[in-house]
Amino acid sequence: MFDFRHSIAARLVLAYGLLVSISVAAVSAVFYFGTIGVLQQNIDAKIVEISRREMLAYGDQPIPLLAQEITRQLNDSVDSDTEIFLLLSPSGQRIAGNLDSWPTLVAGRLLTRQVTRNGKVVLARVYARWLNNHSLLIVGRDLDEEMLMGQLVARALAIGALIAFLLIASGAMLLRQQIERRIGEIRHTVMEIEAGDLSQRIPVSGTDEFGRLNTDINRMLDRIEQLMEGVRHVSNAIAHDLRTPLSRIRTRLEAAVRAEMEVEGFCFAANAAIQDIDDLMLVFEKLLQIAEAESGVRSTSFESVDLDRIARDMVELYDAEAEARGIALRVFPVQSHAVPGLGDRNLLANALASLIDNAIKYNQSGGWVEVRALSAGHELRLEVRDNGAGIPQAELPKVTTRFYRVDQSRNLPGNGLGLSIVSAIASLHGGQLVLSNTDNGFMAVIVLPV
Amino acid sequence: MKRCLVIEDELNASQFICQALQRAEYEAVPCHNGLDGVRLALEGHWDIVILDRMLPGQMDGLSVLARLRANNDHTPVLILSALGSTDERVRGLRSGGDDYLSKPFALDELLARVEALLRRPLTASSPVLQVADLVLDTRHQRVTRAGQTIALQPREFRLLEYLMRHAGQVVTRTMLLESVWDYHFDPQTNVIDVQMSRLRTKVDKDFSLALIQTVRGVGYLFSASDQHV
Repeated sequence: MFDFRHSIAARLVLAYGLLVSISVAAVSAVFYFGTIGVLQQNIDAKIVEISRREMLAYGDQPIPLLAQEITRQLNDSVDSDTEIFLLLSPSGQRIAGNLDSWPTLVAGRLLTRQVTRNGKVVLARVYARWLNNHSLLIVGRDLDEEMLMGQLVARALAIGALIAFLLIASGAMLLRQQIERRIGEIRHTVMEIEAGDLSQRIPVSGTDEFGRLNTDINRMLDRIEQLMEGVRHVSNAIAHDLRTPLSRIRTRLEAAVRAEMEVEGFCFAANAAIQDIDDLMLVFEKLLQIAEAESGVRSTSFESVDLDRIARDMVELYDAEAEARGIALRVFPVQSHAVPGLGDRNLLANALASLIDNAIKYNQSGGWVEVRALSAGHELRLEVRDNGAGIPQAELPKVTTRFYRVDQSRNLPGNGLGLSIVSAIASLHGGQLVLSNTDNGFMAVIVLPV
Repeated sequence: MKRCLVIEDELNASQFICQALQRAEYEAVPCHNGLDGVRLALEGHWDIVILDRMLPGQMDGLSVLARLRANNDHTPVLILSALGSTDERVRGLRSGGDDYLSKPFALDELLARVEALLRRPLTASSPVLQVADLVLDTRHQRVTRAGQTIALQPREFRLLEYLMRHAGQVVTRTMLLESVWDYHFDPQTNVIDVQMSRLRTKVDKDFSLALIQTVRGVGYLFSASDQHV
């Protein structure tokens, strides 16, 4: 049932069972010696005390006096069913007492021996002592009662231990079943995913360790699915965005060759092809840039940068563009103030330029775009706000996907890579791109760690 | 005639570059590996070296560059590279390169940069620049044309100063972004064109002679004569 090499549940149960068994044994031992042991000590003390008392009272008296005393003790109805007395003459003959036979004894030592008392063989605790009148006085106690009590206690403990063991065993089974069941859920899902169904998730029941583990695994699966989706999307987009211009170039050149055009016509075809190729190279370049930023190998060129300086420079780069489109482009605060950070100046400028470009491009004439760099607590922010229409809330999470374009923007120039690059640059810096619709427009923030 | 040494292992590319240089009336000498490159560069007198970053054999572009600089050869070097990232660019420039152009590039861009490098010693900073009736005074941050003051924003002033220092020479959009804004990235929109058109409005609008000319597909030319277009 339990395979210890291949089951952590079995190993856990074994270790746990051992631990509980040892605890039970320890408790039993303490209890046993605390009761029976103390009882024994009391008996011993009492035997020695009686023996001493008799010695003091009769040790120097003639032997018959002591014999008389012993006979009296045996018949006084006190402890008469357990007490043992025996007086031996110097030659070893019984003078008085209630033992019919006795073993060889060593004087001065408490011993547990078999004796015959009133015709019954019993186990007894006995103590022998030489008296001054040369008789040997043996005082003792029949241990039958104590043994009975010891047996009683031992049996009680044994029953307790048995119950404990049964509880441990059933607990172990239960634990093992629980673990098997919870792991079974995970394995089942994993197998289905392995078979190709990436939409499977592990059922999350409760918030215990397995519940939390399952939540974590599910989150990881979400991320993987999202990435796979992204890859699929990119492949489709590449197929479309790269193949279309390529076939256009090819057709155009082929047509030019077929038609045996004049030089002018060739030039026109060639120029158009060059333009298409330049556009293609741009897309290619951007994809590379994203891949590079996402792989996170660029941090060698990180240096101290002033985000406020970058914000002001980019505003100065786009001021003419904004002016031409009738949009007020402003940088805040009016006075420059250093916002020091660590990063790649050109990449950050590139990212901010993309955001400003978008804000201007998607705004109406008469609108405004505000740029600011600020340090807020433990983060640095490059903010671009505008009062344009923003992005439909449902589209927000998707706009950083490569080649993704919001429907309304399809007629505007662009390749759907801008925000992907900004996002990749932000993550390269250990930060993120946060997009949100505001009360009066839209806000894009590159949030960087300090 | 200016002499150009083109160290580039890819035969097609080398041929195109040399032809383009020759059409622009330079003398261009091709060379296909690093060792020959260093030998030729050190033996002859060159006005500029165009150096591919990745070369076969034990000497790559940056080693060639290091060898030249170690031999106290300060000929301007324009590095060509398929490694276009900022890191690579910074490394190229720190190793002693004077300019860095990532592949693929437009031949016009290459020619504009070659010209800029060759002209560089001539553009020593004189405080007052004048082209035709346009005067730019860097000490007082003032621009006048035919005696009339033209109000420019600080960045427009730097843009105009750069154009005037490179008068008669084609400058590309990336060159402007690199020199005037001091950033290196491809804005991939016409943001520089819009800047130029605003500057042009301020500088040329009320005058018959247009000083700022657009060179189609390449960039801009600041010139007092119309012949370059």
